[in-house]
Amino acid sequence: MSNSIAERIADFLKEFLPFNHLSHDELIEIATSIRVVNLEKHKTLFQIDDKLHDSFYVVASGVINLSVVADAEETLLNKCYTGDVFGLRPFFAKNNYMMTAKAREESIVYALPIKTFKPFVAQNTEVLDFLLESFATNTRNPLDKENRGKLITDNVFSEQKSSNEIQYFQSLSYNKTPLKISSQTLAKDAAQLMTENIIDSVIITDQNYPIGIVTDTDLRAKIVTGRFPITVTIDKIMSSPVITVPENVSVAEAQLLLLKYNVTHLCVTGDGSDKSEVKGIIAEHDLIVAQANNPGVLIKEIKRALTAKELKQIREKLTDLIQSSIVKNIPLPHIYNISGEIISAIIKRAVELAILDLGSPPARFAWLSIGSQGRKEQLLLTDQDSILVFEDVAADKYRDVKDYFLKLSKRATTTLEKVGYNYCPNDHMASNMLWCKSLTDWIKQYDNWMKMPGEKSNEISSIFFDYEIAFGEGKIEDTITNVIFKNVKNNALFFDYLGNDALKKPAPLNFFKKFNLEEEGEYKGKFDIKTRAIMPLVDGARLLAINLNLRGINNTYIRFKQLAIVDPKFSEVYLNCADAFLIFSKFRTLEGLKNDSSGQFINLEEISKADKEKLKNTLSAMKDLEDLIKDKFQLTQFS
Amino acid sequence: MIDWIKNINKDYPEFWKLYLTKFESKSKRFVVLSTETTGLNPAKDVVLSFGAIGVVNDTILIGDTFEVVILQYKFLHDHGLSNEFLIESKQTKLAEPQAIQAFVDYIGNAVLVGHRIHFDIEMINEVLDKMQCGRLKNEALDIEIMHRKLLDINDKMFSLDELCKVYKIVQNERVTASDDAYSIALLFLKLKSRLGFN
Repeated sequence: MSNSIAERIADFLKEFLPFNHLSHDELIEIATSIRVVNLEKHKTLFQIDDKLHDSFYVVASGVINLSVVADAEETLLNKCYTGDVFGLRPFFAKNNYMMTAKAREESIVYALPIKTFKPFVAQNTEVLDFLLESFATNTRNPLDKENRGKLITDNVFSEQKSSNEIQYFQSLSYNKTPLKISSQTLAKDAAQLMTENIIDSVIITDQNYPIGIVTDTDLRAKIVTGRFPITVTIDKIMSSPVITVPENVSVAEAQLLLLKYNVTHLCVTGDGSDKSEVKGIIAEHDLIVAQANNPGVLIKEIKRALTAKELKQIREKLTDLIQSSIVKNIPLPHIYNISGEIISAIIKRAVELAILDLGSPPARFAWLSIGSQGRKEQLLLTDQDSILVFEDVAADKYRDVKDYFLKLSKRATTTLEKVGYNYCPNDHMASNMLWCKSLTDWIKQYDNWMKMPGEKSNEISSIFFDYEIAFGEGKIEDTITNVIFKNVKNNALFFDYLGNDALKKPAPLNFFKKFNLEEEGEYKGKFDIKTRAIMPLVDGARLLAINLNLRGINNTYIRFKQLAIVDPKFSEVYLNCADAFLIFSKFRTLEGLKNDSSGQFINLEEISKADKEKLKNTLSAMKDLEDLIKDKFQLTQFS
Repeated sequence: MIDWIKNINKDYPEFWKLYLTKFESKSKRFVVLSTETTGLNPAKDVVLSFGAIGVVNDTILIGDTFEVVILQYKFLHDHGLSNEFLIESKQTKLAEPQAIQAFVDYIGNAVLVGHRIHFDIEMINEVLDKMQCGRLKNEALDIEIMHRKLLDINDKMFSLDELCKVYKIVQNERVTASDDAYSIALLFLKLKSRLGFN
């Protein structure tokens, strides 16, 4: 009997590795044996120490998190998306599962019986290779995305079984053609050789077995000090014995060995002893490269990136960086700074790429990030907000110039979308005709907003008052700032509007000091930390900062800190708000990282009682800010 | 029990007798069913195709499917419809009595699941009646009713498309009875776990 469902599934599988190596008929046979499993959100498919299932799995829709538990802490190893293969352990091992597979959202997975699939693996080496690789990557560190599907050594899964610390198992690339010389070489010649090859170490070998090593340090300490002449044979000054390691050493191990023996280089040999052939050399530098998720390296990579895809990979690394920084309890303002710089660099690069495509711009311009990035408070992937201001041009050229900049914005926003920044739902983007215009038009726009707030412009959101230049002429940004601060003088109406806007956000706690949760919709029962806690602080800070003429300070935290200085009467309120802002942001970021979301809605059931109390106490501090605003601006016109 | 004795006395076709004996034990299997019909009147309209898929232990078994196109020559002729799709399609084609017999053999004592399943069953019962058989004895579950129960509302109708949207099931653009059956099966799994019954 025909089976059109099996055909549909075969068509689906065909799109993904390793199934693309199989013929249509083979896929039909496999598809026919598939069982389809539906997983509710947070449902566990298998967990550590469960008996092996008789099948492995392919994600049909949704996301599956793979994690291990070490020291009673759950560590995420990998996230499997549509088409990803996981749960391969039954192919290669007999003992129980060593990780947990849990649905992060409602998911559907296909269970492929091992028994059906095994013959295809045996017949098709490409399939086997792929499964081996996936098995290795599914168990490897998630930081290692580019190396997905690339194996370091063939014996990875035997290594696997003995090692519990798989999260440290990360590929380490090192110099596989070290300099090798015999023990009778002169120090002078060795130094010459090292200089020519720009390598800081040389291994002294005897029948290709390592007997010692000379590094820059040895040359400095023993030759340049004059203790030995430069004509001494190298065996007199070498450090011996050499610390040797096997080929598939992990980053963590290498690090420990360097510390333990207080050396700067490790020699890689065939079997890890000094009685086997030299295969390479690991320098401290290689370890630093292996942990390349540091801000400097990321910015460098951004500057070199040529496609949206590359930028996206860098953005993912930034997420990892933010995650590890938060885990390490690095103060949030620092993280904001770093991530702000990196995101700025990404936006800048996106604009640059657009310019590379379109040719140089016909007029000077400024690309301003607005909203959260304008305040440098963006840690999670949110939607993108931007505006573009170009200098005034002759009337007859205006159309062409505007046309060019619209095209440019279109490209840049598309790039950013590919990186993972969704388009702004309100279309607050430079690619929108309204938000891409000349300086004069922008000045008019701000004049309008500020002199006649609320009139026909109810939708103007205050995010236009938080901006930061990402690309272009700094002078343009200064001009806009001047316009704003010129307009605020004696402009009670404007503050009235902003003040009411800040205060009309829904209250976080109800009369009985219980959290106000969402009452309906998709997020029913969750706490909207963005609208109820963070936004009022952001709005309040902006309002007060503009009022007190704090120029060039856009970050909410720093705004409060600065307010405490210029308005000492209420410094306590401001400082409390600054702290509150950090606490809320941290909760939100943790939530966002956990669920790959914008972190707007927090599930209170998932956080501990102590944390809940902390949240509550912080929330009540906001009341003071509210009173302060009401008092200061005597809100009337709009209330 | 009395039913069963009545059945014995009647002279049913062999396959129907076999079908009746299957109900001596309870089934753990569900069969998700979808039909394409010429209309909504069980007395006048006929079934054009069946799509069905088995569900056991909360998993859909892709190998356990039933799909048959029924050659309703008379109907197609009378209505002047092209039968190209019948000739072109790779699906198994059977005449009505054979198709119904194959279907009855396939479902056995499984619990039937569908979207407005009682209509499907009614259509099948009409044919069974023509074939001198009794009515289907299978238990039946309707996903529309399950969904209403979950939301605790009674007065609203939900089409299959609407349900798929609510539970975020991506439907195929070529919609055949089998595709519908598969979508219903996914809906069934989701509803079943949400309603928390086994």
